[in-house]
Amino acid sequence: MDKAVNFEKVTHTYQVDTPFSQNALENVSFTIQSGSFTAIIGHTGSGKSTLVQHINALLKPTDGTVSVFDRIITPKTTNKNLKQLRKKVGMVFQFPEKQLFEETVIKDIMFGPLNYGATEEEARKSAVNAMKLVGLSANFSDSSPFDLSGGQMRRVAIAGVLAMNPEILILDEPTAGLDPRGHKEIMDLARHLHDHNHMTIILVTHQMDDVVDYASNVVVMDQGKIVKVGPPKEIFSDPKWVYKMQLDLPSSALFAQKMIDTGIKLKTLPLTIDELADQIVQIAGKEGKKDE
Amino acid sequence: MKNIIQVKNISFHYPDKPLLFDNLTLDVHEGEWLAIIGQNGSGKSTLARLIDGLIVLDKGQIIVDGLTVNDQNIFDIRNKIGIVFQNPEDQFVGATVEDDVAFGLENRQVEREKMHEIVKKSLMDVSMLDFRNRIPANLSGGQKQRVAIAGIVALSPKIIILDEATSMLDPRGRNEILDLVYQIKKDNQLTVISITHDIDEAANADRVVILNEGRIIDEETPENIFQNTGQLQSVGLDSPYTSQLLAALKHRGIKPQRSYLNDEELIAWIKQLISKK
Amino acid sequence: MSNFLFGRYLPGESWVHQMSPQSKLLLSFYFVIVIFFANNIASYAALLILIMGVIILSGVSISYFLKGIRPLIWLIIFTVLLQILFSSGGKLLWHFGPFSITDQSLINGGFIFIRFLLIIMISTVLTLTTTPLAIADGVQTVLKPLKGFHFPVDTLALMLSIALRFVPTLMDEMETIMNAQRSRGVDFGSGSLKHRVKAAVPLLVPLFTGAINHAENLSTAMEARGFTDSEHRSKYRIYRWQMKDTISWLVFLAVGVLVLGIRKW
Repeated sequence: MDKAVNFEKVTHTYQVDTPFSQNALENVSFTIQSGSFTAIIGHTGSGKSTLVQHINALLKPTDGTVSVFDRIITPKTTNKNLKQLRKKVGMVFQFPEKQLFEETVIKDIMFGPLNYGATEEEARKSAVNAMKLVGLSANFSDSSPFDLSGGQMRRVAIAGVLAMNPEILILDEPTAGLDPRGHKEIMDLARHLHDHNHMTIILVTHQMDDVVDYASNVVVMDQGKIVKVGPPKEIFSDPKWVYKMQLDLPSSALFAQKMIDTGIKLKTLPLTIDELADQIVQIAGKEGKKDE
Repeated sequence: MKNIIQVKNISFHYPDKPLLFDNLTLDVHEGEWLAIIGQNGSGKSTLARLIDGLIVLDKGQIIVDGLTVNDQNIFDIRNKIGIVFQNPEDQFVGATVEDDVAFGLENRQVEREKMHEIVKKSLMDVSMLDFRNRIPANLSGGQKQRVAIAGIVALSPKIIILDEATSMLDPRGRNEILDLVYQIKKDNQLTVISITHDIDEAANADRVVILNEGRIIDEETPENIFQNTGQLQSVGLDSPYTSQLLAALKHRGIKPQRSYLNDEELIAWIKQLISKK
Repeated sequence: MSNFLFGRYLPGESWVHQMSPQSKLLLSFYFVIVIFFANNIASYAALLILIMGVIILSGVSISYFLKGIRPLIWLIIFTVLLQILFSSGGKLLWHFGPFSITDQSLINGGFIFIRFLLIIMISTVLTLTTTPLAIADGVQTVLKPLKGFHFPVDTLALMLSIALRFVPTLMDEMETIMNAQRSRGVDFGSGSLKHRVKAAVPLLVPLFTGAINHAENLSTAMEARGFTDSEHRSKYRIYRWQMKDTISWLVFLAVGVLVLGIRKW
């Protein structure tokens, strides 16, 4: 696999020694493979948002280098000629519906492609496609985005990013404030984009269940540093450490812990419902089935 | 059991929108934790606003602790009800933490000496006394919600309404706020209405009401509500974790008698399965 | 954007923090009036020294302070440039089409620059050391005489306090929206004037929509917390006149007299 993103000893400092000083990145090195689904986790204020904003050069390293495909960003990189990079890296911010501004849904979605030099016709085509992807009916095209429900507005905003056909998609807590149905729709969209459109997905989240259900690679941050990188299995294998990072276990691991505390022996700590159910079937064996 | 809130045959619609509530009736028992669940747009938050007289009914009557919600009683009613809203930012009126807690007291023209006493005590109740000089920009979402709760505790209400108060917080912040409200409810014998789409929050309630498109489709204990996982799914809600696990086991040929058990019951049942082996 | 200081409050216990907001507000007004009496290097220098002293007494480091007001300095420089290019009188040094620079306009431009700088400095110190609520209280006290004319002093004060309280919130939101639109290919800092105006739309529409949302939610929350009108309320804070206020007034008055003495009549 190719490298999509590579951080090499990246440090970022927001106004040191000021009363507003915010947490920084400290000597961060890691790689995200092209086509992977990576979750970035860490408690509030651990530096997750700062980290992802480096990937499309909204922030530049104070020290070190960030490479995104063949583009290299260093502290000296100027603000010019970043468009090609930003087109490749789609960024869905928290509560992205706050960025909507056009009179109609379709115009808002076309905004990105037009900025990146697409013709009216190309932009419209991309926008129509993006609407399909996020499951918005074409009937909404000419509605004002401000007349839609919160969940629909969020999908318009995400479509606005997808219309640029990015190769990397960064989702910063994309489901915050949504109800369970909306949550699942957005997460399934991320999976679809990964599986079918071969996008590299980077998900910033607090939902550990989403991490185990959707991601194959996890980056754990604490106080501006990357403290662990690996598959979910590895990350959650040590519950004490997870708690020390002020993070939670996925629901299944949490429930399994409760089982273990009452004296039930499990071979490994299961992370998903299926893993837990399989283990229960294993230890309860065929006897369990006789209950039927 | 005394009903502290009676919602009697109410109708309501927003301007230029179809009828949201048509003849809706609901009782809230004194001292209970009532969860109102439903997806976005089901009318949950509207109901809270109607109870507090923030918006006006088309038809019907709402009685809060013996008082009808109307123009004359509105301030007495708001003395009885404290609401924690969804967005932590948008309910922080004061310049600093202590000023914000004092806001409600100032509105009620409480004497200054007394106000300082109450503010201090309320901030202690929510463990935010050390933060009393902080400005909102330097607080986390969870801390802002704590301040909002302190502002409510300061007015010693009888009812606390959590209007999706935890939906913008991370899981840790969410649990902390819920634990805090549990404690405050217990210490002050309050009634709590929690409006939520978090099923695990509802699992800890005394009673659950499912609201869908402005209609109450079920009103039961969590145990009984959660037996009917199909109903939860049909209104776009998750089933509780234990129900999902039971369904996964069923899929693997292990059939439980019931489709919902709480954590302890489920673990006991699994233990039983193992010992039978 | 996050180091932008104007309108922010920095919690602290400094000399300036402890002064009563009423006297800080009145002193700021007074200072601005004195600025307009200054008209030569000596008188401006006296005021600059005074304001530097105030900044030091406010516990904010000077370099940090200057960095915090830098975005506004560009605005002033722009204004001053217009002033220099379009004013006449004095010895002509350079001219091109409608533009001309004279020695007089250069000096005037310099003075205008210092004037603006002084005004921004004093008002930034005011907001840095005074909570929005206290500023509002100060305004309320200062404007109290107007109540006799049915002027809604209390409401105005509360509005001001809330507006100031939301400045940081809206600043943060502006930054997020700018970043979001940058990610969608907007280039805010470059291009022709027309291009820049066009680029402002995707920033301003969401910013205003957000502000309106905040306002709606906030008014609901205020109502739920028992707010009816701004007049029938008690006050959590009172601000007593202190020795510090007296001393500050004496110093400011002395500098005022000094400025009158050394200005060019």
